[in-house]
Amino acid sequence: MTTQHGIRRIAKIAVCAAAAVSMMLPLAACGKNGGQNAGGGDSSIINVFNGATGTITENFNPFSPTALQPTLGLIYEPLFYYNIYTGADPKPMLGESWEWNEDGSQLTVTTREGVKWQDGEPFTAKDVAYTFQLIVDNPALNTSGTPIKSAEATDDTHAVITFNAPNSYLQESQILGNSAIVPEHLWSKVEDPSAYTNEDPIGTGPFKLDNFTSQAYTLTANADYWNGKPKIEGARFLSLNDADGAASALIGGQIDWMSSFIPGLDNLLKDNPDISYTNTPYMTTAIITCANGDAGCVGPQTDPAVRQAMYYAMDRTQLNKLAADGTGKIGSPTMLVPDRDEKWIPDESLRTTPEGSDIDKANEILDEAGWTMGDDGIRVKDGERLSMTIQTVSGYSDYITINNTLQQTFKEVGIELKPTLLSWNEWNNNEQTGQFQLSLDSLGAGSSTDPYFIYNKFISENAAKVGETGGVNLSRYSNPVVDEAVAAAASTNDEAEKIKQYGIVEAELAKDMPYITIYLNTCLNEYNQTKYTGWPTEDDMYALPITWRAWDNGIILQTIEPKQ
Amino acid sequence: MKFILRKLGFYVVALWGAMTLNFFLPRLMPGNPVDQLISKLSQHGPVTPETRHALELLLGADSSEPMWKQYINYFVSIFKGDLGVSVAYYPTKVSEVIGNTLPWTVGLVGLATIIAFALGIVLGAFAGWKRGSVIDNIIPVLTLFQSIPYFWLGLILLYFLSLKAGIFPLFGGYDVYTTTPGLTWEFISSVIYYGILPAVTIVLSSLGGWMLGMRNMMVSTLSEDYILVAEAKGLSPMKIMRSYAARNAVLPSISGFAISLGFVVSGSLVTETVFSYPGIGSALLTAVQSNDYALMQGIFLIITISVLGANLIMDLLYGFIDPRTRVQG
Repeated sequence: MTTQHGIRRIAKIAVCAAAAVSMMLPLAACGKNGGQNAGGGDSSIINVFNGATGTITENFNPFSPTALQPTLGLIYEPLFYYNIYTGADPKPMLGESWEWNEDGSQLTVTTREGVKWQDGEPFTAKDVAYTFQLIVDNPALNTSGTPIKSAEATDDTHAVITFNAPNSYLQESQILGNSAIVPEHLWSKVEDPSAYTNEDPIGTGPFKLDNFTSQAYTLTANADYWNGKPKIEGARFLSLNDADGAASALIGGQIDWMSSFIPGLDNLLKDNPDISYTNTPYMTTAIITCANGDAGCVGPQTDPAVRQAMYYAMDRTQLNKLAADGTGKIGSPTMLVPDRDEKWIPDESLRTTPEGSDIDKANEILDEAGWTMGDDGIRVKDGERLSMTIQTVSGYSDYITINNTLQQTFKEVGIELKPTLLSWNEWNNNEQTGQFQLSLDSLGAGSSTDPYFIYNKFISENAAKVGETGGVNLSRYSNPVVDEAVAAAASTNDEAEKIKQYGIVEAELAKDMPYITIYLNTCLNEYNQTKYTGWPTEDDMYALPITWRAWDNGIILQTIEPKQ
Repeated sequence: MKFILRKLGFYVVALWGAMTLNFFLPRLMPGNPVDQLISKLSQHGPVTPETRHALELLLGADSSEPMWKQYINYFVSIFKGDLGVSVAYYPTKVSEVIGNTLPWTVGLVGLATIIAFALGIVLGAFAGWKRGSVIDNIIPVLTLFQSIPYFWLGLILLYFLSLKAGIFPLFGGYDVYTTTPGLTWEFISSVIYYGILPAVTIVLSSLGGWMLGMRNMMVSTLSEDYILVAEAKGLSPMKIMRSYAARNAVLPSISGFAISLGFVVSGSLVTETVFSYPGIGSALLTAVQSNDYALMQGIFLIITISVLGANLIMDLLYGFIDPRTRVQG
């Protein structure tokens, strides 16, 4: 009688981290579009879907964790651009060069001359110093936890940032590559910068805000941009409730750029030559194990031999085919990205994971560790059955496939795996508090490709006891050798020394395996190549073409050109 | 008067009960907003222990405050009309988020519900009046529409009418490419055009129920003695149908209507998802996914008030339509 019906569960695929949205088969399977008018055909305003759903709320405050994502990269810019897909050298943006003092406590940045804010005022090093001093003065803005003591400008082109401690080299990428620079002449008038929504944002970036509504907002090209006016006239960011809509809008020509997993994409594109895509896997999907019995973890996975056995038993080729349509790439037991991070993995044998499954080796490891086969086909040790639960988010269909496939494979070596499906909140809460045995997750990327941003997940300092939250060390792993090596690598700027120290960490991780690498998860980006050219290609990934990546989208939108 | 006061008293107690539940339910959910934001941030960059501190400062999330104090503060601020600040849309106020989304939902689902009800009652009355006629025979077809899961019906209509035939738009509440919101004919016509397909889906899926209910009540009313008397008096068949049969038969449907009006706010989630329509349903989904207590409470409050309010109005109105309910037995 009423319009109330069961809430439809939206199928979600856990690709491209949390921001990825769902695809439904019925629409993805369709061939041609029905002649929908292509939106915005009047001008070269590109239509972008970056995962925004429902009502969009205006927030262009670059310090806010809920800021609209084009704030970073399109309107405001960093000092340097770090390409975390290729690991290329930082590209100068508002900065031109940087220098550390002797003990690594002071970073001096030389800024670009001739840059203007979008309101015509000149940009100087004073704005840079002001931005970092603002973070020092307002701890609520410091969401990256950067340990800055003070910042000042020595002249119009030099800003000096002083850190709390010497050897702060690791802050480099955060300061240079992940901090939006704001204008002093406007922000000094803001009363509470943390609750400021900045509805009239003025940055240095290639685009400025044109108009905003709760369903779409448009940015237009900045004619005075220091790197030349972008070739496209602007970008419109749309809100769609799920990616069913996005996929059909892409085919219908109403969306020109999006990043979502579409099953059977190759088939779909056969009939739609306008659309092209790239696959940019750079995040490792791994089984997080609650590894440390001393911290309160319970279950067979606290035995390193069990984790080793799982590592060898799984068939990654099969997992990739079943869960990721074959679009995943081979990962590394070190949790780094094999090609990109080759120099960081001195031991060649640790560069990639095995592809097929090695049942014999897994059996051998378990036998040696004293796990004997029980009557029911599940191994036992000291009365404990080799049975574990693995949690994932209900609706992450690729992760569910992985778990179900692993369940079959592991049975062959006498391991019982029990997949459980939870809501995102509960799953996340379990990970944070350590109330899990195994959890399927993907590793985020740091502000640069320095392995520190992965390996700080394995140091004792970042581990909380089970039942407590805090710290990024979800597996509660604790190993003094790793602690020492990570600390040593963090406090030096000498690459050879870093490689040596990270080599030690990698050997320990490959032995203890607190995280079990599955593969590099697929990350598909689709674009309209008939309307625009100059997109990144697999050979020239000048920026990561993921619509919701901060900074990268600014580089891409100022590079692409409308096709005549 | 006593009748009205008694009703009002009952509703005040119901409202208090609902608001108390509203306070406790979100807090029983696993996780908290700070952890939520940290996990999201960690996908984009490094997160340090200081991050937690910064976010706690930012959100003012002082989890150490005792529950009873939070409970009292909750009531105090609601009576002040302050629903707090949304975490998911930080630093936007909850009242602003609701203000932005509610009109869309009420406009679309509210109108569609009223249309479905009115159409269902009129058609149902005719179907009951002339059993076996064409109108009577379409009831099974319409109930079939009702038995199809709503989202599926929506997806099928969207696929054929929008993607294949291109008659209706694929998504959104208005044409975001060419119009800007405002009191212009261009914008209003765009809103109407974009609302047609979702509204048709809602009407299609609920019409059958209204019609069937009305038709069956009509049939049983027609066998009453007073209909016979009216016929014996020689009144015109139209007058008998309208003033004697339909008027009595519509009573149960009206109470059903009150309930469905109350659910307009909450029942829109599926519509909004299928048609990517802006509205309060998607705001509620976001709130639940981000452990945004303030926004959840704000939306639940709106739902509670609208359900209770619709019932109260119907209760009072019912007393006038059907005087029997006023008298105590």
